[in-house]
Amino acid sequence: MFDRDDELVDRVVRQLRQPVSIDPALDDRVMAEIAADPAPRATSRPRFALRPWPWLAAAAVLGAIIIARPWTRGADNSGSNAFQFVLVAPQASSVALVGDFNDWDPARSPMRTAQGVWATTVPLAPGRYRYAFLVNGVEWRADPGAPDAHDDEFGTPSSVITVGGNGS
Amino acid sequence: MSQPLGIDSVEASDAELVRRVRTGDIGAYSTLVARYRNRLGRYAVHMLGDREDAEEALQDSFVRAYRSLDRCDDPARFGAWLYGILVNRCRTSGARAARRRRMFVRDADALNGATHADQADRVEWSDTVNRALARLAPEYREAFLLKHVEDLEYDAMARLTGAGVSALKMRVKRAREQLQRFLKEAEHV
Amino acid sequence: MILTVLLLMTQVAVQDPRLERLDPETRSLVVSVVDSARAAGLPSEPLIQRALEGVTKGAQGPRIVAAVRRLATDLGTARGALGSGATAPELEAGVAALRAGAGPQVLTQLREARRPPLTMALAVLADLVTSGVPVDSASAIVLAFAPTARDADLVEFRRAVERDISLGAPPGAAASVRALNTGIRSTTDAAVPPGQPPRPPSRP
Repeated sequence: MFDRDDELVDRVVRQLRQPVSIDPALDDRVMAEIAADPAPRATSRPRFALRPWPWLAAAAVLGAIIIARPWTRGADNSGSNAFQFVLVAPQASSVALVGDFNDWDPARSPMRTAQGVWATTVPLAPGRYRYAFLVNGVEWRADPGAPDAHDDEFGTPSSVITVGGNGS
Repeated sequence: MSQPLGIDSVEASDAELVRRVRTGDIGAYSTLVARYRNRLGRYAVHMLGDREDAEEALQDSFVRAYRSLDRCDDPARFGAWLYGILVNRCRTSGARAARRRRMFVRDADALNGATHADQADRVEWSDTVNRALARLAPEYREAFLLKHVEDLEYDAMARLTGAGVSALKMRVKRAREQLQRFLKEAEHV
Repeated sequence: MILTVLLLMTQVAVQDPRLERLDPETRSLVVSVVDSARAAGLPSEPLIQRALEGVTKGAQGPRIVAAVRRLATDLGTARGALGSGATAPELEAGVAALRAGAGPQVLTQLREARRPPLTMALAVLADLVTSGVPVDSASAIVLAFAPTARDADLVEFRRAVERDISLGAPPGAAASVRALNTGIRSTTDAAVPPGQPPRPPSRP
């Protein structure tokens, strides 16, 4: 039995103030949606994007198989093109792409995941770039579908992507 | 020996993170998301009464905040600004939920794990509160949550909701009265 | 005047903020290698990236310095073979080919056989060897392709060879068979260009 109405409401408030845990996977979904269109400047009328979760996951899985892998785009590129890098790592909590195109800085090209498929897109001018994936901040992995960077002198695996076209 | 690179300090302020995002460090935004996810989540879950709807509203709000980040006038108050986006977003979602006449879903795990009477009581109580909350009119629920759960001052609430202070005070009062009535009804079931 | 220019170049390298990730001793050694390379007309960016790679991977200072020095030396060798008009991407790909085992004379022959840029041809050569194709076969094949194949053709060729290798074919055989199927005569014949291959415009 409740003696005072205020006490009743206070109990409600105490209940509602308890912390709520949201699945941290939300962070990845937010960043994946942002990465799909990363320009941070808003148009004059920001719109709600449709919730991308289902198609993003499907597209990412397809992308691992079908999307033209970067090193196939060898010819006739002038200026820079955007290349997608993909790594399947369902157990990873973070994957960073590092290479000659981003000063080997893990913060520069964060990869976002949908159902264990990590991806990011990087514009590349013509040239030859060594790169690798840094998983969970500690484990180095080469790109399983890319040529090995044969001259690996730091004891960790790296891959190579060559972008054709007229370099300066 | 080099340090791990690109790891944001846990102590980086909202203003600093906003600044970084604005200069192109998209990854810094994920720190802001992680920072506000649960706090905003609490409001969204209670306002919408459904975790899935709440997560969708959260996701939309975070993305919308990112895309309109240049309109955050005071990066030091990013949280409050983000809050306003969420409150508005929940109004849209709330309308959809009302049309579906969705009931608050019991936390199945909590029930399954309730082997002790006090645990069961707690779940029962939580359920009762959620049902009562769901019965409030959306604008009453919104005002009640903002005032009593999120601890906003009426001035801040007025800025967020666009309603006048006296209107908000009235809504909170009505919310309290109705909650008391619903809870007493629940006792007698 | 020259001293001023040299000092200016030194300052530019020292001021590259990315190198602040290196500890001071390593940084000053790397900077001196970069400055020497720059003074010799070699590109500095590959050297800086190699240093940054070492830092990110947690390598010790001396190892980083050694890697940067080795790259500077190899860039010089590549430039000697490819000519002073070679671009930075061409030099980097040239280094990869050299390190794969191709001799400088192969690079020079490639320059004479193919219109620039040579980046993709050199890269394909290096990648074929990395996949296991013997360097002489890979060199002969790429040189045979060089006068007429587009970059995309070279890349497609390499992908096809790698696919065959992944299916179990011995690398050398895979490359030879693919080359034959593409209309190149046997690899031994291909080493001797038939008649006069078209000469690209001479490089500056």
